[in-house]
Amino acid sequence: MRARVGDRIIIEGHHLGEPRRDCEVLEVQGADGGPPYVVRWSDDGHTAFFFPGNDATVQQYEHETT
Amino acid sequence: MRSIEAIRRSGVGIGPDRTITDAATIMEQAGVGALAVIDGGRLVGIVTDRDLVRRCMAQRMPADARVDSAMSSPVVTIQADAELHDAFRLFRTNAVRRLAVVRGEHFVGMITVDDLLVNLVGDISDLVRPVTAEILFAHHDPHVPATQ
Repeated sequence: MRARVGDRIIIEGHHLGEPRRDCEVLEVQGADGGPPYVVRWSDDGHTAFFFPGNDATVQQYEHETT
Repeated sequence: MRSIEAIRRSGVGIGPDRTITDAATIMEQAGVGALAVIDGGRLVGIVTDRDLVRRCMAQRMPADARVDSAMSSPVVTIQADAELHDAFRLFRTNAVRRLAVVRGEHFVGMITVDDLLVNLVGDISDLVRPVTAEILFAHHDPHVPATQ
């Protein structure tokens, strides 16, 4: 998986009826956009390390080039 | 046989100096029952929802207690390129419901007992289906007289 700051990671539910979860990438700690990532799960500011598995996909957003 | 990598779930980590309240909140937001405790890029422990109940709430720990006061360490780990039967053996010999998946020494995710059960059920179902079909829809060859 490759992600950039600002991208959103979608995690599929593991149980019947369990909703998808998503988080925002705040920091990329791996090489070449690889994991681990520092992510934020909601607007309350709680951050965590994230190590994507087979249940996760990246939703990339256009980043402005400077 | 499939490798652990094929069924590995995403892992969520937290620093050892974060609070148990933060840990509970992140578990709820991420939809996970366990967090890897990461210190300086190293896996140093694991804290589960069960730990928060039994070691924190039941022992009346303050809400701002550190995660490393509630975590289990050392962590039972399995390499990402190991095979499923290695996971079976680890679950059998350790009283845990989750294994931290590592690549070398780096934490990369989790697998749970549930993951293995679902995987097994899928494989058994694949075997049972043709047998069931044969039982339910047995094919009878038309009777051919011995002489014409």
